[in-house]
Amino acid sequence: MARVHNWQIGREMSYWYPESRPSRQFAAIFDINKCIACQTCTLACKTTWTSGRGQEYMLWNNVESKPYGFYPLAWDLKLLKELGPQEWKEGTYEGRTIFEAARPGERALGWRPDDIDYANPNVGEDDCVGQVENGAGLEVPHLNWFFYLARICNHCTYPACLASCPRGSIYKRPEDGIVLVDQGRCRGYQECVKACPYKKVFFNPMTGTSEKCIACFPKFEQGLQPQCFVNCIGKIRMAGWISPPDKARPDNPIDYLVHIKKIAKPLFPQFGLEPNVYYIPPIHAPSSFLNQMFGPGTEAAIKAYRNADDDLAGLLALFGCTEKVMPRWKRQGDMVIAMEENGSEMLRVPMREPVHIRPAFDIRHGVTRTNCP
Amino acid sequence: MKKSSLLPVLLAAVVLVAACQKSTHAPSPDVRVVSRTSLPADPNDPAWSTVPVHVAPLVLQDMVEPRLIQASTAQVEVRAISDGSRVVFRLSWADGTKDDSVRPAHFSDACAVQLPAKVQTDVPAPQMGEAGKTVEITYWKASWQASVDGRKDTIKEVYPGAAVDHYPFEAASLPTDSDAQKEMALRYSPARALGNTMAGPRKKPVEDLIAEGPGSLTPAPAGTSDGKGLRTEKGWVVVLSRAMPAGLNSSGRSQVAFAVWEGSHEEAGARKMRTGWVPVVLEKKS
Ligand code: SF4
Ligand code: SF4
Repeated sequence: MARVHNWQIGREMSYWYPESRPSRQFAAIFDINKCIACQTCTLACKTTWTSGRGQEYMLWNNVESKPYGFYPLAWDLKLLKELGPQEWKEGTYEGRTIFEAARPGERALGWRPDDIDYANPNVGEDDCVGQVENGAGLEVPHLNWFFYLARICNHCTYPACLASCPRGSIYKRPEDGIVLVDQGRCRGYQECVKACPYKKVFFNPMTGTSEKCIACFPKFEQGLQPQCFVNCIGKIRMAGWISPPDKARPDNPIDYLVHIKKIAKPLFPQFGLEPNVYYIPPIHAPSSFLNQMFGPGTEAAIKAYRNADDDLAGLLALFGCTEKVMPRWKRQGDMVIAMEENGSEMLRVPMREPVHIRPAFDIRHGVTRTNCP
Repeated sequence: MKKSSLLPVLLAAVVLVAACQKSTHAPSPDVRVVSRTSLPADPNDPAWSTVPVHVAPLVLQDMVEPRLIQASTAQVEVRAISDGSRVVFRLSWADGTKDDSVRPAHFSDACAVQLPAKVQTDVPAPQMGEAGKTVEITYWKASWQASVDGRKDTIKEVYPGAAVDHYPFEAASLPTDSDAQKEMALRYSPARALGNTMAGPRKKPVEDLIAEGPGSLTPAPAGTSDGKGLRTEKGWVVVLSRAMPAGLNSSGRSQVAFAVWEGSHEEAGARKMRTGWVPVVLEKKS
């Protein structure tokens, strides 16, 4: 075991391999508040990558309702239970990561879902935490709540899948940090399935190898965002590059949201993988739940989001505007501008769309207007 | 009267047969490769009853992660026959559960025979060899045996209740077995497209592999091994046939090692029961 730095938990930790950060790291922001669980992302991935034999049950991208939705069943609860209660103290995680809590003879604490655990991807869909009583009003946080959690592989800085593979069949690309299973080398031991806390590696029974989200690397290499991002109806997603916190650049959209505004949080940072998909937490769920899921600081993140200044609101307006990866951005008055790495303009979006108010009665045609499409 | 006079004769015959069997089956301290003109391809071939058995105790693979912590299969019985150009090993072991499914999270029973690639005084490490000291491995897997024996590699075969809407390579516009159709099917089977031997389609239930230390297992460039496994009431009996190993001749001794994987115990890869090197001797032709 080596000692590596994990900024998400504010300390050094043990990992199987020494620290070796890629020259650039793929990262993503998902704004949970905009997700409508239409599963268009799920289908975009499914039709692009996993329509083959043995891939029938695989959802490299899935959207589940929290707290009662899971794919596979209880993926997060089982590991949280195995890990037991752990402590954060002022931004530093004082508990054990899955690498530090590994059982004898293993490299990470994990569990392997049974095949039946994948059988109900919609379990818990739209179930809220409790009964909505008669007379209940709308309050924030909601009295009874649920939210949609869209999930892909986190292309972790310290991947447990990679650490656990005894054959070195999983690699993290030095040029973009994307984590891939070498389909020519894998022998299907399913150690990665057991070790990934997010359960984002899937065993293909027809090829005898394990497969996972590839961050649509053939697109990403061409400066295009992945399929599940560009097909998102709710425009909740943005893919780009993240810098380590000490090298954060305000004109990098991901850095701005994660490091500068601190409104986007990693999923279960306490597991210790430094996952690279960041979530803007849902504004209506209780902070005890959110802090367990996204680490400390969710209250402040929600506060900043609800009181978004022009810069933040502008940047959020860039989500889902183009298929291209937006390495840089800036705001100019009422316009927000996405830029290429060299600063040249890619596109501009008005922060406020013009509003047209039409009278209910159309005098010219002599008809009453309706809002039906 | 007649009956009672026959009885001692029958008893004597039974004792004689038992003694015979005992002499051929007495555990041998090393693996004796018996010379025969023809090689049995079936685990139940009567030829095996005349071959000495070596009982190899199995130990935990607990040297490299992921280690096996709890012991499973206790021992493997080994017999071997050669015709001078090939050698066949017959492995049998007790296993209460038949595990040959390909389902996710369900592991297959398996076994393997390992030999040094070269004769050298300084033998490779028994655990998968070491850098510069290659070992050759013949590996058999119960799930591959089931495929070779006719089980279809489809989701319906594994989960009869499964419903599949559509595979892109079964689109009406792609004529069955046309090049375009095959190419499309390969696109959705990346391991097969890359020629990964794990990915099938399987013609044999065994695979030839080489290794130079834990984690380095690779398909052998040219594999000629074959084999067959049968499920018995108590476990498995498997024959593994391979080319004559280097250095295995009647004037010298070589080494052989064995491994067994118990699927119901989630054993795969490094999680296995294994032996150290066992001396192997080729018997002189009588
Ligand atoms: S989310 Fe899981 S599969 Fe993806 S890199 Fe992290 S450990 Fe590996
Ligand atoms: S990034 Fe690409 S491969 Fe990964 S879940 Fe999204 S669509 Fe699928």
